[in-house]
Amino acid sequence: MRSIILVASTRIFFIAMVVVSLWILLRGHNEPGGGFIGGLMGAAAFATLAFAAGVDDARKMLRIHPAVLMGVGLVLAAVSGLPGVVLNGSYLQHQWLELDLGLFELKLGTTLVFDIGVYFVVIGGVLSFMFRLYEEEQG
Amino acid sequence: MSVSLALVLGLIGSILAPFAAARWKTIGNALVVAVPALLFLFFLMQLNAVGQAPIIEENAWVPSLGITLTIRLDGFSLLFALLISGIGTLVALYAASYMDEKTPFYRAQFLFYILLFMSAMLATVTADNLMALFVFWEMTSLLSFLLVGFDSTKLAARKAALQSMLVTVGGGLSLLAGIILIGVAADTFSISALMENPAPLVESPLFTAIIILMMAGAFTKSAQVPFHFWLPNAMAAPTPASAYLHSATMVKLGVFLLATMAPIFSQAAWFGPTLVAFGGATMLIAALQALRSTAFKAVLAFSTVASLGTITMLIGLDGEVAAVATVGFILAHALYKAALFFCAGIVIHATGEPRLNRLGGLASVMPITAGATVLAAFSAAGLPPFVGFISKEYLFEAQIESTFTAIAVLIGVLVNTVMVAIAVVVVMRPFFRPARRELHVHHGEATGMTVGPVVLGVIGLLFGLAPGLVATSLIQPAASAIYGEPLDVSFYLWHGFTPMLALSILVVALGLLVAKYWDPIHVALRRRRIFDRVLDDRGYYWVLDNTLALARWSTLRLQNGDLRIYTAVIATVVTFFMVYALLAGEGPVFPSVNHPEFNIYMVGVIGLIIVGCFVAALTTSLVTAIIGVGLAGYGLALVFLLNGGPDLALTQFSVETLFVVIVTAVLLRLPLMFTTTRTPGERRFDASLAAVFALTIFAAVLWIEAVPFNPVIPEYFAQVSYTEAFGRNVVNVVLVDFRALDTFGEIAVVAFAALGAWALLRRSNVARKKPASTPAKGG
Repeated sequence: MRSIILVASTRIFFIAMVVVSLWILLRGHNEPGGGFIGGLMGAAAFATLAFAAGVDDARKMLRIHPAVLMGVGLVLAAVSGLPGVVLNGSYLQHQWLELDLGLFELKLGTTLVFDIGVYFVVIGGVLSFMFRLYEEEQG
Repeated sequence: MSVSLALVLGLIGSILAPFAAARWKTIGNALVVAVPALLFLFFLMQLNAVGQAPIIEENAWVPSLGITLTIRLDGFSLLFALLISGIGTLVALYAASYMDEKTPFYRAQFLFYILLFMSAMLATVTADNLMALFVFWEMTSLLSFLLVGFDSTKLAARKAALQSMLVTVGGGLSLLAGIILIGVAADTFSISALMENPAPLVESPLFTAIIILMMAGAFTKSAQVPFHFWLPNAMAAPTPASAYLHSATMVKLGVFLLATMAPIFSQAAWFGPTLVAFGGATMLIAALQALRSTAFKAVLAFSTVASLGTITMLIGLDGEVAAVATVGFILAHALYKAALFFCAGIVIHATGEPRLNRLGGLASVMPITAGATVLAAFSAAGLPPFVGFISKEYLFEAQIESTFTAIAVLIGVLVNTVMVAIAVVVVMRPFFRPARRELHVHHGEATGMTVGPVVLGVIGLLFGLAPGLVATSLIQPAASAIYGEPLDVSFYLWHGFTPMLALSILVVALGLLVAKYWDPIHVALRRRRIFDRVLDDRGYYWVLDNTLALARWSTLRLQNGDLRIYTAVIATVVTFFMVYALLAGEGPVFPSVNHPEFNIYMVGVIGLIIVGCFVAALTTSLVTAIIGVGLAGYGLALVFLLNGGPDLALTQFSVETLFVVIVTAVLLRLPLMFTTTRTPGERRFDASLAAVFALTIFAAVLWIEAVPFNPVIPEYFAQVSYTEAFGRNVVNVVLVDFRALDTFGEIAVVAFAALGAWALLRRSNVARKKPASTPAKGG
């Protein structure tokens, strides 16, 4: 039997944890954080949700299969190295784009694509077997 | 056109042509034959150039690392290239017809292997870099495995395939070790460089080890004693493959390597005599086994082993004549033995009868095959005016002129007597003697299959009648290459009344006698079971069985499914090596304590960790244990945080949280309290192991602290992190930019490990759905 209080508060916590994990992912290049830590936090968010509200809820929230997410992450990380091959002749030599947006300057690098790849792999990796583990318990 | 380009085009053709053969039969088969045929023509056109000087072509491969793929075509490798592509052409033609009634896929797959093998083989003999040679050498072993086991539904074929691969690849490892030692000793892998300047290699203390290792590799490939057993078993392969790989080309790679390296290796005085000893032993054992064999192909296989022994012996003999004899024998043997295998294949294909003594009276049914067999057998028996006669004259001359006169000649006479007998028997039995019982001939001879043996037989006769065709163009450059100096070669038919001629006549006379009494000799030798025990592959099976038994035993001991034993083994091994490293080095050095300030937070955190550890170790409740471990983990994260490692701390916090969440999922399935399954004695052992492990880590950390810290790398990254990678978080910049390839590898590992765990959990899910629910293991 599920505790309504636990489920309701977990949903709020879940959103907060996902937002924090994204924030940690994005700020990673200059402040403590990055794809790996962000990914672990994101996975913890889904794990908590699955723990409280059930795996089906967590799966619905993730939308795509965790193993697919893992593949997408690997592909992103691999693709992020390609611009370097074209522009510098060196794989994974990251490239930067500087955008002047008037108020502030935005620097976008292929490192971000790589880090998002790491983020996806970590979330997908942890969740793919963790969901199974939970389902085994509930099934 | 350069040799490199020809080889690459040949490889492309070898891959594409069989696909065409699977789709369009006639055109495809023509393409399959055209690939080796064009290569053969190409190598023919190199005869003149190679006669002047070896062709060397350097191709940049990994230029940034200075690795080049160098092609080296000297007289000896050209002889091999011609044999490989020439006989390859006939084999392709033969195989297309041999596999005619099979499915297109089956046929195309076989042709694919054959042509791929040809490419690998050509690359092996033209490679100048020994490392490249090794890679291609192993490719031929792999393709040999696929071809021996081609009829994969037969147990005998699979066993023979495995055996041939284990023996040749095992020898390949020995060869690799020898090649690596050459690199260590001479600082080069290039054969040309070694030939030019052999001094560093010869004077190296590793020289003896190098020769032994490379010899072992060559002996396995060329089926020399004590590895002679795999080749006759490899006759499980379809006959075109036997003719090509296991008689004409691949099995000669061993002697090819020995002959190529002979100018250098012979600087060791024992090199020649060792080859003579092993070659001689191989010749005698193979001759004996040939007399004991019943199957057509087995008789031919043992005579091939004897021939390989002969070549090994010839390489070991000293003198110019030996070099000429080696080359002449390789050429003559490839021509007649491939032809004999072709004929054996035709006969077996048509009758379905592999045993020699059941065959008979086939000359009227398949006259062309009979004729080709006669031509090839005359050359094999060393009768004039065939090329086999010339090569046998040189063989005897080399043996007489060498320092081993008496023994070498005696072995030569004995073994060649058997060779003559075999030649007579393989002609008379199947074709001219009436069959003992009625034989079902399913079909006659197909043109595609008879072309090969006829062509080879006629060439054997032609080269015998007009040795000038090959004397200066082919034999002379090849013999010079393995002699190490230019030779003046006289390769001709009639030598006059010499001791060699007398020996030839003696051998033929004795051979006819043995052939006449083949059956009684065969039966008498076959009855002697002792030969089975000594000469068969029992040693191989002894090694194989014991290796498997050892593997089973160690698996049972080390991987019995008990996690406690895994942990104990790992902890013990790590502790042992760390203690060893601590004691064997300069001894433990302890740092002077230079942290006078008393940090109340650190004391609190460390207290937290200690409490967590004791709780986890002492409690009997699993939930409490998890909380204890989590406490220790969070404490560790706080230590990182207090000491300026926010990234590490964040990671540690996340991992600990996930750990607790995941383990809770498992725990919900288990009883909350566990009954103690460990006896007090076991618990005492666990506790002391844990204590020793912890103390060792403690000592190691202290020791690491005592070593002065080298700040070059962190300072470098701190400096360039923002200027070059536009990031202020050095840890993240290192992960995603400076060492991005490492990170990529790591996330790939994470992904594959997760996939593995995912798949394993699915299996236990399925198991749970069975009616009698057994608790799923692991997870």
